[in-house]
Amino acid sequence: MQYIIVGIGGQGILFAGKVLGAVALEKKQRVTGSEVHGMAQRGGSVISHFKTGDFISPLVRAGEADVLLAFDQNEGIRNLHFLREGGAFVVNVHDRSAFDNLKLKEFLEERRISLFPLEGYSLLKEHMGGNFLFLNVLLMGAMSGAGVGAPSLEDTAAAVKTLSPAKFEDANMKVLKLGYEAVVKK
Amino acid sequence: MEVSRRVSARAILLGNEAIARGIVEAGCLVATAYPGTPSSEILPAVAKYADELGLPMSVEWGVNEKVAFEEAAAASFTGARACAVMKQVGLNVAADPFMSIAHYQLKGGLLLVSSDDPGPHSSQTEQDSRYFAMFAKVPCFDPATAEEAREMVFDAFDLSERFGIVTMLRPSVRVDHCRQDVQEKITPLRPGPVKFEKDPSRWVCLPAFVRINHPKLNQKMVDIREAFEKEFAKYNYEVPAKGKATLGIVASGSAFAVVSDILKGAGRDDVSILKIGTPHPLPVKMVNDFIARHDKVLFLEETYPVMEMQLPDRTGIMGRWNGVVPGAGELLPEVIAGVLARVLGDDSLVGGAHPLLKEAIEELKILPRRPMLCPGCPHRASFFSIRQALPNSVNPSDIGCYALGVNQKAVDTVIDMGASITASSGLFLAQKAVGEEKPVVATIGDSTFFHMGLPGLVSAVYNRHAFVLAILDNATTAMTGGQANPAVGTKLRKGDEGKRVDIEGACRGCGVEYVRTVEAYDVAAGKAAVKEAWEHAKSKGEPAVLIFRHPCMLLRPEQPSIPVEVDQDKCIGCKFCINFFNCPGLVFSEEKGKAYIDERFCVSCGVCVSVCPHGAIRATSGEVE
Ligand SMILES: Cc1ncc(C[n+]2csc(CCOP(=O)(O)OP(=O)(O)O)c2C)c(N)n1
Repeated sequence: MQYIIVGIGGQGILFAGKVLGAVALEKKQRVTGSEVHGMAQRGGSVISHFKTGDFISPLVRAGEADVLLAFDQNEGIRNLHFLREGGAFVVNVHDRSAFDNLKLKEFLEERRISLFPLEGYSLLKEHMGGNFLFLNVLLMGAMSGAGVGAPSLEDTAAAVKTLSPAKFEDANMKVLKLGYEAVVKK
Repeated sequence: MEVSRRVSARAILLGNEAIARGIVEAGCLVATAYPGTPSSEILPAVAKYADELGLPMSVEWGVNEKVAFEEAAAASFTGARACAVMKQVGLNVAADPFMSIAHYQLKGGLLLVSSDDPGPHSSQTEQDSRYFAMFAKVPCFDPATAEEAREMVFDAFDLSERFGIVTMLRPSVRVDHCRQDVQEKITPLRPGPVKFEKDPSRWVCLPAFVRINHPKLNQKMVDIREAFEKEFAKYNYEVPAKGKATLGIVASGSAFAVVSDILKGAGRDDVSILKIGTPHPLPVKMVNDFIARHDKVLFLEETYPVMEMQLPDRTGIMGRWNGVVPGAGELLPEVIAGVLARVLGDDSLVGGAHPLLKEAIEELKILPRRPMLCPGCPHRASFFSIRQALPNSVNPSDIGCYALGVNQKAVDTVIDMGASITASSGLFLAQKAVGEEKPVVATIGDSTFFHMGLPGLVSAVYNRHAFVLAILDNATTAMTGGQANPAVGTKLRKGDEGKRVDIEGACRGCGVEYVRTVEAYDVAAGKAAVKEAWEHAKSKGEPAVLIFRHPCMLLRPEQPSIPVEVDQDKCIGCKFCINFFNCPGLVFSEEKGKAYIDERFCVSCGVCVSVCPHGAIRATSGEVE
């Protein structure tokens, strides 16, 4: 499996790579991925690559990712070229209108890309008192809800538990399910 | 030294953590560094691992790379293994000791880790540290993966002790910042005894000794090249094609990893690869033998043609010298695939963005997001105060998060660490020569001030240069992830106590008469202070120092929460706040022609209330905590 995770510096996208890594390790898979640290982390576009299986380089080639997980819809759309034909696009939406763009619709259709949108900010406002720091966990939940060969909700939950402080465990589990259900319903 | 290996479970580590484990496990006694992307995570991981194992290692941030390298070098004079870690441009700062130490017959193993940043992603150059190894006549290891990098640390220390020479490990960003599964633990070697033996012919670089040592260094290069030809098959090996190869590729480091995955994915098993993990001194016989067996040979390496350059004759190969491989930028999968497509005449290898997607992105006006100062960043407030106090000032700045003040039109020059002060002197000198007196207000961070700011400041005091130096003290080295520095005073090992160095005291000690400190969030006080400092500098003909103080948002400081809103009736859409304050939490709606608060990013620091000239930004009433 090959994943591309994109967002804006400060949104906590590194966490996604850590969760994917922990899940793969549990399954005794080989993993390699690439992260962004430094300048771009300051509010700029950030991208993480993650691969499980027999690879040497941590970088995913354009057109080969199975899953594109976008913490920000603009960053997601800008990086759609990474997805393979038939790949899955899990995206945090803040402005639905962009998805009415005809060219975009046509592109997604032609490449048979499955779209899994969720309105992360509204969900966190409604259920988590507007604490947007939970965005990363929410999106991990959404990715497991999308199926598409990504880790299951159980595996993701176990990894999130080991990787984050115990005091957030209850909240994290709640958010994870919230993300999962937001996508599974569709 | 025999390395005992107990095979254990696998762990997922950042490349830098894997390198750190190698450093600790190889019995290194003294490890020093100055932070710099992509190397910054190595030293903290060394300290953490040494703490876990309860090892008696010294692990410290040096105040700059020259300091860090010299400390490690001298530690190795005692017979201990020592290492210094930095980013590629850090080696420019440490170049002086690096060049001279190369000539020494060392006692303990000495390792330099210099991390490169092809792209660049977070650097002021794309320079190739391997060139420095070549310049200094020092052997260099170039890892392709995290696991290999860790293994190379052991060999680099062994080689260093065998030949008495400093060795370089050159990971690039894709090795430093990869996250891979690696062997969990290797039983660490015990550091050896420590004893400094006096021997001026060994430890004093007088010209007379250099004349003896330089020919010896040349001989070491001959011997190490021979060792790289014969003994390092684990790093230098051939991945043969099935049957007769249509192309031979000589590749090192991250380029090897990328090209291997591309060829495998494309099912091109008609290409053979010679993987080189020791690019300097290049095992030339091995490479020439490979070249002789192939009709077409391509060189892939980052960032400069270091292996190519070492060939006695490179006219027969394809690489950078004849433009087949681009001369700048990172060798990303897409770039290498493009090169392969041309060389192999195989168009299926090129991807390229789908025209529909390109059009959609254009129609939706989606652009890559440029880096910005974080919401609530104290630097933003300081820049605003400076610009508003002296709008016609020239503003040299420096290396750190605050270089992003360029978004606020408050950064006019950046060269390298410490150059905000020396550039101010240069601007002052040029103006002075023609009798002009335009205000100059420089900005520099706390870590950068201690790194290389002090000599420039002393020079400015001594020579009477009139300008204002604003030191933006956010109590951390933020750009590289939040390391301590002298102004913070904490250290890396558990129980290891540091001492805080006072910035105000340091400036006064350098002879600066005017030293004032303001709270960075207090824009009114900041503006007044900038004006006053410039009046002082101008009238007394000397530098004045202003310290803007407020902790970095990455430290999550406790501070009052002041939720704000933009009064849509008062906002006239002048974009003053966008152009001069430039906060991710305060954005402009092209549709409405007015600014508004983007609650996804706003952290309620409240500073923007004092920014709007029309009073349209105000604290949300009743909600102040
Ligand atoms: C010679 C050199 N060493 C290291 C770096 C990496 N680096 C970039 S910014 C920075 C330090 C910034 O710290 P500070 O001056 O305190 O500013 P802040 O980022 O906290 O605002 C460092 C070490 C560099 N660019 N050049």
